[in-house]
Amino acid sequence: MEQLLAALFQLFEPTHLAFLFAGTLLGLIVGILPGMGGTSGLALVLPFVFTMEPSHALAMMIGVLAPTTTSDTFPAVLMGVPGTAGSQATVMDGFPLSKKGMAARALSAAFSASLLGGIFGAFILSISIYYAIPIIMAFGFGEQFLLVVLALLMVGALTGDNLFKGIASCFLGLIIGSIGTAPITGDPRYTFNTLYLLEGVPLVVVGLGLFAIPEIVGLLDAKGSIAKSLNTKKGWFTGLKDVVKNWFLVLRCSTLGCLVGALPGLGGTVVDWIAYSHLKQTTKDTSQFGKGDIRGVIAPESANNAKEGGALIPTLIFGIPGSGNKVLLLGGFVLIGIEPGLDMVTTNLDLTYLMIWSLAIANILGAGICMGFSSQISKFTLVPYYILAPVMVCLIFFATFNINRDWYDFIGLLSFGIIGITFKNFGWSRPALLIGFFLSSKVELLSYQTQAVYGLSFLSRPVSIILIILCLATIVLLTKQKFDSNYKSDLIKGKLTQIYYIVILLCLPLSMIWFTSSLDYRANLFPISLSVIALSLLVFILIIKIADLKNLSFLNNTFMKFARSNIFEISGNFNNQLFYYFSFIGFLLMNFIFGFPIAAAIFINIFILFHNRKAYVSSICISAVLMVILWLLSSLLTLQFPNGLIGLFIDLPWWLGGQLN
Amino acid sequence: MSLFSFASIGNADVNFAGKTVTWVVPFKEGGGTSRFARFIQPFLKKYLPGNPDVQIMHIPGGGAIKGSNYFEKNAKADGTFIFGCSTSVIVNVATGNPLVKYNLSEYRPVVLLPQNTHWFTRSDLAEPHDLSKIKERKLVLYALKTPASADLFHIWIYEKLGIKGAKPIPGLSSSGGYQAFLRGEIHLSSHGAANYVKKVKPEIEKGKVVDLMTLGIIGADGSVSRNPLAPNAPTFPEMYEKVNGKKLEGDDLEAYYAIGAAWSQASKAMMLPAGASDEIVKAYRDAAIKMTNDPEFKAKAVKALGPFPLIIGEEAGEIIKKAAVFSDTTKKQLNAALKKHKFTYRVQ
Repeated sequence: MEQLLAALFQLFEPTHLAFLFAGTLLGLIVGILPGMGGTSGLALVLPFVFTMEPSHALAMMIGVLAPTTTSDTFPAVLMGVPGTAGSQATVMDGFPLSKKGMAARALSAAFSASLLGGIFGAFILSISIYYAIPIIMAFGFGEQFLLVVLALLMVGALTGDNLFKGIASCFLGLIIGSIGTAPITGDPRYTFNTLYLLEGVPLVVVGLGLFAIPEIVGLLDAKGSIAKSLNTKKGWFTGLKDVVKNWFLVLRCSTLGCLVGALPGLGGTVVDWIAYSHLKQTTKDTSQFGKGDIRGVIAPESANNAKEGGALIPTLIFGIPGSGNKVLLLGGFVLIGIEPGLDMVTTNLDLTYLMIWSLAIANILGAGICMGFSSQISKFTLVPYYILAPVMVCLIFFATFNINRDWYDFIGLLSFGIIGITFKNFGWSRPALLIGFFLSSKVELLSYQTQAVYGLSFLSRPVSIILIILCLATIVLLTKQKFDSNYKSDLIKGKLTQIYYIVILLCLPLSMIWFTSSLDYRANLFPISLSVIALSLLVFILIIKIADLKNLSFLNNTFMKFARSNIFEISGNFNNQLFYYFSFIGFLLMNFIFGFPIAAAIFINIFILFHNRKAYVSSICISAVLMVILWLLSSLLTLQFPNGLIGLFIDLPWWLGGQLN
Repeated sequence: MSLFSFASIGNADVNFAGKTVTWVVPFKEGGGTSRFARFIQPFLKKYLPGNPDVQIMHIPGGGAIKGSNYFEKNAKADGTFIFGCSTSVIVNVATGNPLVKYNLSEYRPVVLLPQNTHWFTRSDLAEPHDLSKIKERKLVLYALKTPASADLFHIWIYEKLGIKGAKPIPGLSSSGGYQAFLRGEIHLSSHGAANYVKKVKPEIEKGKVVDLMTLGIIGADGSVSRNPLAPNAPTFPEMYEKVNGKKLEGDDLEAYYAIGAAWSQASKAMMLPAGASDEIVKAYRDAAIKMTNDPEFKAKAVKALGPFPLIIGEEAGEIIKKAAVFSDTTKKQLNAALKKHKFTYRVQ
C-alpha cells in the first residue's frame, strides 16, 4: 500500500508527468490516424526509450498505449473508419449517429465510457498484482508452455477472418521467429552466414513493417474518405447523461473487456465485437442497432479501453503479451532492462505500480484532452493524407534506423512491409504473425525446459488441465460467434492472385527445411516441425481455395463450409498500394545516395508536390522542420544517420553523413 | 602526492583540449557495460588532460561482435577512441568465434571492473557450504543461457567438482533461472554480486536458501581470497580441494585462472586500441587513478559498480591476455565438458 502511494507521488514529479503527457499526446495522434494504433505508436518510441531512465520510459510507453482506444473514436464516428482495430464495432452505431447530426453526443458518450473502462481496467490490474506471487509460483515450465501454446492458438483462431488462415499465419510467424542462433546448440539457422540475421530480425522492424507500412499505403489508396463537415458543438451533455443512465452496461462491458484482455494473446481486435454482441443479446429492443443507438457506442468503447489493464496482467507476470501492442511493450522492457515475471511483483513492484498509475492517469488525460479540444482534434481528420504519409514514412525510417544503426534494417522494414500489405489485402492475420514471431523462442525454450524437468507428466498437473479446458471452451464459444457471417464467394475478384500468393508463402517453410536439415537435431527439430505443420496448413488452404474457385461440390458439408468461409479476401486496390510501396523503395535508394536527412527532405517535397503542386509552402516548411529536429537529435544522442554515397565526394557536416571527427 | 606530480610531468605532450573522445560500447543502451561507461564518463572528462568531451557510441548487435569489429576498423590510436569491453566480448575471442575481427589481446586496458559469482542451493537440498548431498543426487538441474557464452564455464565448474547429476537447462537467463529455482524446478543457481545482494540474501536470511561457494577474488600474485559479500562461503579452489582431496593445480589451475580472468576480473573494462602510445595509456591510467580518489566517485562507486576495487595499471594487460587467449589445454578441458553434456558447440 505504501509503495502504491509512493509510486503515485513519483509519477507526479514534473519529469515523469512530462514523459507521460508526451506519450499520451503521441498515443492520441496515432489513435486518430486511421489504421495506426498502439503497435505502430510504440514501435515509433521504442528506439528512443532506452536512453531514458526505466520509470520515465515506462510512463511514456503506457502513455502511448492508453489513449489510442479513446481517440480512435474520432475517425470512427466522424468518418466511419475505425481509428484502430479496437473501434470497428463503434462505427456500427457511431457513424449513423454522426450522420443524424449527433456526433457530439456520440463522441462524449464514447470518451466517458472509454475513461470509465480504462480506470476499471487499471483497478483490476492493481488487484491482480496483489495475488500474483502464488500464481507465478504455480506456473512452472509446463504451465507456461501450455499458456504460450494456448495464446498462439487463440490469437490464430480469432484474429484471422478464416480459422485456418489465422493459425497458418501464427505458424509462419513462429518460423520467422526461429531465424537466428539456435538457443540450445548455438548453430546459426537460416542466417545465410550474415551477422545481421544471427540475432534474428529485430522486433521493431517486424512491428513497423507489418502494421505501419500497410496502413499508410492503404490510406493513400483510399484517399477521399475525409469528413466533410464537422458538427461537434452541441450534445456533449446528452452523451454524458447517456453514460450515467447506462452505468450497468459500462460495468458489464468493462468486466468483459478486462477478462478478454487478460486471455493471453487475444484482446485488441475482438473485444469490441464481443461487447457489441453481448449488448445485442441482453437488450430487448434491438431495432435501433446499426442505425444510431447510443448504447452501441458505449458498449464497445468501455470494453476496448478496459482490456488494456487486463492485457497487462499476462504481460507483466508471465511475459506473454496480452495483445499485439503488448509485444512491443515487452520489447521495450528488454531495452530498459526489466524482465517480466516474479521481479515485477517483488523487487520491481514500484515500477509495476507506476505503470498502473500511468495507465489510470493517461486515461484521464486522454479522455480530458479529447473532450476539451474535440473541435481542434477533429480537424486532424481533415489533414490530407498525402501530407501525413511522407512524414510518417520518414519517421518510420528514422525509428527503424535507431534500433541497431544498421542499413539492413531498412531492407528488413520494406520486406516486412510487403508481407504486411499482402497479408492485409489477402486476409491473413498480421497480429497472429507478430505474436507468433515474438513467442517463437519462448515456445522452443519452454518445450526443451518442460521436457527436461517433467517429460510429458506436466499435462496431468491440475493447472495444466484447467488451462486446456479454458482455452478450448473460449475458442469454441468465440469462433461460433465470429464465423456466423455469410461469406459471399461470388463477389470476390482477383482470386487467382490470392492462390498464387500461397505458392509464395510455401517457399518459407520449404526453404527453412532445406537450409536447416543438415544441422544437429536439437537445432533443427523445432523449425522443421513448425515448417511441416505450416506446409500442411497451407496446402489445405490451397485446396479449399482452388475448390472454392471451381465451386466444387465437396465443399457443401458443414465442416467444409466452415473452412471455406472468408477463404478469399475482398482486397482493396492492390496495384495502387504496390505503387505507393515502390515509392518507399525509391526513398530507400535515395538514402543510399544522399544519406538519410537529405533524402528525407527530398522525399517529402517530391511526394507532396506529386499529389498537389500548390502545396509547396507546406512541403518546404515540413521538410525544414524535420531537418532541424534531426539535427537536434543527432547532437543530443550522438547519432550518426545513415550516410549516403555523396558523403564520399563532398565534405558534409557529421550528422549529414560526413566523416567522423 | 608524488604520484600526481609525476603524472603531470609525464603528460606534458598529451592534451585533449578541444577534442572529442568517442567511447564505443558494443551493447545496447541500458546494459551493464553501458551503465559502466555512463558512470565513468563525467570523471574521465574531468581528469583527462585538456578535459575533452566524452561521447558514448552504442553499436549493439551480433553478440557484441558488430561493435567490437567496428572499433577495430575505425578507432584511431591517438587517444580519441576508447572501447567498452565485457566478459562476452572476451569470451567471443577466447572461444574462437570465426566472426571476430578484433585483436583484443593487443588492446591497452586502462581500467578493469571485477565481478564475482555466487553459487547457492535450496536449504532442503544441502547444508551450507557443503556439496556432499548435491553430489549424491541423480539429477541436479541448473540454468544455462547458451554454451556460446560465459555460461559455458558453469559446465566446467560442475564437472571439476564431480557433480555427476548436473544437467543444464538451456535458454534460461540468470533471472529466469532464479525464478525457476525458487519454484523448485531447478536445484543449483548462481548470481552476480549485485543480484546476490538484492535477491538472494533475503532468501538466505529467511532460511530458504544456503550459500555453496563463490568464484573467489583473484589477486595480482595469483592468490585467491574470499568474497567479502559472503565471507563464510568457500572459494572455488577451496571447494575443489575439499571435494577432490588435492590442491587446485596444473591444467585445472590454469583453466581456473583463464576463466576467472574472463568472468570475474575483466567483467567490464575500458580499453585503448592496439597502437596507442605509452604516453596516452599513461595519461588515461593517471586520470583513472585520480578518478578513484575523487570524493564523488568514492561516494557513489559501491552502489553503481559493486564492492570490488577497480584494477588499473600493467596487471590489467596481463589479465586481458590471460582471459582472451585460452591455452590449448584449457580449450581441451572446456571442450571435454561440452562433449560430455552432448553440446555440439566447441571452443575453437
